[in-house]
Amino acid sequence: MRVIWYAVLVMLYAPLAVVVLYSFNSVNSSAEFVDVSLRWYRALFADDSILSAAWNSAVLALVSSVIATAVGTAMGYGLYAHRDRRLGWLIALIYLPIIMPDIVYGIAQLSFFSRLASATGAFDLGLGTMIIAHVSFQAPFVALLVYSRLVGLDPRLFDACSDLYAGAWQRARFFILPTLQPAIVAGFFLALTLSIDDFVISYFTSGPESVTLPIFIWSAIKRGVSPEINAIATLMIGTVFAAAAITLAFQYVRARRIAS
Amino acid sequence: MAKARARTGGWSAIWHLLGLVAPGVIWIVVFLVAPAAYLMTIAFMTNGSYGLPEMPLTLAAFKQLAGYGFLGWSPANLYVVGRTLAQTVLATAAVILIAYPVAFYISRAPARLRPLMLLLVVVPSWTNQVIRAIGWMNILAPGTPMADLAAALGFISPHLGLYPSQFAVALGLVYNFLPFMVLPLYAVFERLDTAQIDAARDLGAGTWDAFRHGVLPQTLPGLAAGTVLVAIPAFGMYVIPELLGGGKNLMLGSLVARQFAAASNWPFGAAAALIMIVATLVGLMVLRRLGRRLGGDSGVML
Repeated sequence: MRVIWYAVLVMLYAPLAVVVLYSFNSVNSSAEFVDVSLRWYRALFADDSILSAAWNSAVLALVSSVIATAVGTAMGYGLYAHRDRRLGWLIALIYLPIIMPDIVYGIAQLSFFSRLASATGAFDLGLGTMIIAHVSFQAPFVALLVYSRLVGLDPRLFDACSDLYAGAWQRARFFILPTLQPAIVAGFFLALTLSIDDFVISYFTSGPESVTLPIFIWSAIKRGVSPEINAIATLMIGTVFAAAAITLAFQYVRARRIAS
Repeated sequence: MAKARARTGGWSAIWHLLGLVAPGVIWIVVFLVAPAAYLMTIAFMTNGSYGLPEMPLTLAAFKQLAGYGFLGWSPANLYVVGRTLAQTVLATAAVILIAYPVAFYISRAPARLRPLMLLLVVVPSWTNQVIRAIGWMNILAPGTPMADLAAALGFISPHLGLYPSQFAVALGLVYNFLPFMVLPLYAVFERLDTAQIDAARDLGAGTWDAFRHGVLPQTLPGLAAGTVLVAIPAFGMYVIPELLGGGKNLMLGSLVARQFAAASNWPFGAAAALIMIVATLVGLMVLRRLGRRLGGDSGVML
């Protein structure tokens, strides 16, 4: 059992490790590693189209995550507060974006937005449509995360609030939001990583002006993997690992707070 | 409190619910359900001169999908569907075989370590799909140790890489979807009732029988949820076959994408996508059934 676990860990991290390793390779080869060099990173920061793609990625991830966190938290709390009702339709609606293949997702939105654009003049493909698309798959994940944290709470805490004559607003302000804070922060970072992780949906809802890093990488590797691409990929992997570390830190802080 | 309100609140409780979920629901309905419905209607429209859908309604796109074209019948499209199905089944089976012991191992680890172990499994899937594929391209390229080993064992001819190939696609799919199986399986293993194993043992069951009667039935909901979460996205996978499979190993996702890019035949692409939408809806129904059986904890399926 332990052997399988370590073998799986190797399999999970080997591809990422290789990308990081070869981004520091001094020659353009994935067969041999010659010497440690930062030349590909230097090339990266000299390239304006990469910098603008990074900027687009950052704007897309931040704006969509803020919206998705707000919308998703409300949805997750609504699902919890009314969990005794028949909410099967709502659960199905939340799971729909999670299991729908992203290619269907992307082309459905591509055809829909371009139809809207030709009919109304608004919704031209670009950062705006990408943000809309990203929120639609981030919000369900945030909702599920918030919901699963609420399920772990003692329901009597809600009764305690009303025993103390807390109104709906006070309950939200002094109990629900502080209690949910770790889940909301975790949800925000999950939304952020989902946005950075996505390629297909971005690809089909993007316009010529809104190239993001994954789209840039995609068109570059159609010409073959280069160390420069490994360097961009390494920076993106670093971002995700930082987000993971923050998530973990929040979980441990929360666990300790509950324990004490 | 919530229960009391749900029973006594009447209209104000319903407004409370709607106020909370409406933004999300409207967003998903307008920007996902409506586009998917629009895509389904495109499948029944005529392919116009620029590849864009036009009236009148027709079944031409479905005939083309079944292989009827200008040059008579050809099995090419059906091969693509068949290959996609085969890859999906293979990848899902492999994911189950790997994820099952992993999820069990995590569930038996010290409680303090479990969140970290789960995070270790999940974090790679947070990196970009394209980047993960690049990682495998780096590993499987010609001249790398893996490719040399495969060549030495006679699996491939020397100086060729392990990609592009069906094998690389299968590997990429397994890699991509492993966490989606580990998490639901972990959720059921965590609540495993070990008394049932002891009971089977007391009744004289060997290891295999104890597993079959004491463990397997308890993990079926997690197994089914994982299968839905793996098989449906795998069936529609686009990035991995495109990057690791090469032109000869076309899968359905690429066939769909091409109709909206270079080949420009939206109705045909939409007809092929319709198969995936139907698969998605079937998967949703299965998940709903399971959600009921798994109880309120279906949220852990993240």
